[in-house]
Amino acid sequence: MDSKNALLQVKDLRTYFHTEDGIVKAVDGVTFDVYSGETLGIVGESGCGKSVTSLSVMRLLDEKGEIAGGKIIFEGRDVMAIPESQMMKIRGNDMAMIFQEPMTALNPVFTVGFQIMEAILLHQDVNKEQARTMAIDMLRKVGIPEPEKRVDEYPHELSGGMRQRAMIAMALSCNPKLLFADEPTTALDVTIQAQILELMKSLQEQYGMALVMITHDLGVIAEMAQRVVVMYAGKVVEYAEVLTLFKKPRHPYTWGLMNAIPKLDEDKEVLYNIPGVVPDPLDFPDGCRFNTRCPLATDKCRKEEPPLVEVEENHTSACWYVDKLVEMIKVSRAGEGA
Amino acid sequence: MSKITDSRLLLRADRLVKHFPVRAGVFRRVVAQVKAVDDISFDVYEKETLGLVGESGCGKTTAGMSVLRLYEPTSGRIIMEGEDTTYYFMPALKAQKYIRDIYIDRFTELKSKGGSAEAAIQSFQNDFDRKIAERYFKEFNEDRNAFVRSMLSNREEKRKAFRRNAQIIFQDPFSSLNPRMRVRNIIGEGARIHGLATGSDVLDKVADIMTKVGLSKDHMSRFPHEFSGGQRQRIGVARALILNPKLIVCDEAVSALDVSIQAQILNLLNDLQKEFGLTYLFIAHDLGVVKHVSRRVAVMYLGKVAELADKKKLFDDPLHPYTVSLMSAIPEANPEKKKQRIILQGDVPSPINPPSGCRFHPRCPIAKEICAREEPQLQDVGGGHFVSCFFPGQLKR
Repeated sequence: MDSKNALLQVKDLRTYFHTEDGIVKAVDGVTFDVYSGETLGIVGESGCGKSVTSLSVMRLLDEKGEIAGGKIIFEGRDVMAIPESQMMKIRGNDMAMIFQEPMTALNPVFTVGFQIMEAILLHQDVNKEQARTMAIDMLRKVGIPEPEKRVDEYPHELSGGMRQRAMIAMALSCNPKLLFADEPTTALDVTIQAQILELMKSLQEQYGMALVMITHDLGVIAEMAQRVVVMYAGKVVEYAEVLTLFKKPRHPYTWGLMNAIPKLDEDKEVLYNIPGVVPDPLDFPDGCRFNTRCPLATDKCRKEEPPLVEVEENHTSACWYVDKLVEMIKVSRAGEGA
Repeated sequence: MSKITDSRLLLRADRLVKHFPVRAGVFRRVVAQVKAVDDISFDVYEKETLGLVGESGCGKTTAGMSVLRLYEPTSGRIIMEGEDTTYYFMPALKAQKYIRDIYIDRFTELKSKGGSAEAAIQSFQNDFDRKIAERYFKEFNEDRNAFVRSMLSNREEKRKAFRRNAQIIFQDPFSSLNPRMRVRNIIGEGARIHGLATGSDVLDKVADIMTKVGLSKDHMSRFPHEFSGGQRQRIGVARALILNPKLIVCDEAVSALDVSIQAQILNLLNDLQKEFGLTYLFIAHDLGVVKHVSRRVAVMYLGKVAELADKKKLFDDPLHPYTVSLMSAIPEANPEKKKQRIILQGDVPSPINPPSGCRFHPRCPIAKEICAREEPQLQDVGGGHFVSCFFPGQLKR
């Protein structure tokens, strides 16, 4: 794909947090594109920097956080150069975000309707009455029953699934071109998660927006995304189309992650486990950041950082030993078959 | 199935009920009951893992906590190793009343109905009640007071033995460890209280158990905050394991962990089960995880068991429409398999005021008129596959 047509381009993004203990390089060289109408998945474990990436693009970092390098280009404009007053017009209007925990993301002292209207009034030239009608319409679109009544309810009066629907209604009220969904279904039960994912898919079709789905759940990724970024310790380790990624993972971390999940359609006595733990963000290892947990790691991995290179068309991976991994996967699959 | 009937019954939850009162108003009057667990029964056999799965609010955690008497059940019995442990943790008078109600009165009634003590004894289907009836009629010659006294004797020791035999691993490794205690005390406390070791032997034991769960014994003097999430969960495992328990209730033991760490803990639990012959009651919301660890699985919905079966049977051939929809709702990590999902409408109703009849009927895609009217009973449809539905197997994936 030609990245010139991308709705959002993130190039070598570096976001550092200045803490008392030192500099936390939460995001350290992340590159990806998002195209209109598509869903890009960002997957990784806690602390890999997937949420910070989206907050950086929205410029919602707190004062400790700083974009230390890289470029964010949204619709051809350099996001980092846009003054804050302008940014407020873009945020919520052109790009919006939904969060994991709808109870903490919604303001408990205002009605749901008020909070949706707030966004509409801010970004669109309508009066209060029109905004209210629009808010009710939005609530209906996201499948909240009796929206005329619900619009005047407070967040605590709604169930978890309904709250997340209200959040989605708020995010979509101004018809954004780009929507970040940060673990939108993690706090929900599976049957409710299925409802919300279905809703997001159908709304995306309706509105044609681009969706960036941030999650730790490979199942949700497989379900929703067309292209996937796999992150580990602030870096992109693999970037591919969803089918390719699941069929032919080309980074040991991706492969390990996929094999660590107990799946419904297979029986395994022992799960593959990635040994050790995610390294301390204050003290990332030299070279490849995965080297402390990688079965293939050599001295080279401990010294030199592998670049993100194309292993085949539209499939990049940051590993020195892609060939060895392919061999290892073959052996392990043969072992499973036996 | 033969394997299960061969192994010994370790735990039986018999018609377990736990209601929480809802209080309101100036006088804190009880205005409603949250029917968290409403009449469920299940057996756990030695050295097996029974998975208890369901969505939030289905009562799975309450069931686990009631088994351990971290909640006092509203009614029902918890039988462990052939002993009724229900009254162990009740206040003395309540325990007396319990024994009278559950045993003596029932026995007396059966005797007057059947005509003789022998008839009363034989009228029991299950071995456990029959044995107690035998004791009551033969050993105590229907002497009520002596029977009650004997049941209530040594309650302190019985309680301790129960605590030693039944342990728990909690969900959140951050809030379940006392931040001001050193790891050696957290793990060793139980051993000391139960007199399993004294003095420096405790530390040896702690070191031993820490190695077994994959922690370095050099970290014994550290505080919980110095460990990562996965390591803390290992501390939780060690704390339960040091008492050499028979039963461990794992309450969402891996839910708070990242995928790679989750796999480590699941493998650890598996290894420990083999090594120590442990029995797990594994409570989780993640069907994939439950499938991986369990031999049998019970699916709960709104305080009831919807389906209970051998793992393979349950996953290959789910019969309850709730189980079917639950399985269909899980996003699978396989993009080629875009399945046609059954999407349930609405939310789980409130357990304060559960729907009439079958509790699943308002969301059930195949509900008929009878489902709203009558409550289906959990029935064996063959080979230990229990399901509570009027139309089992009619909803297809």
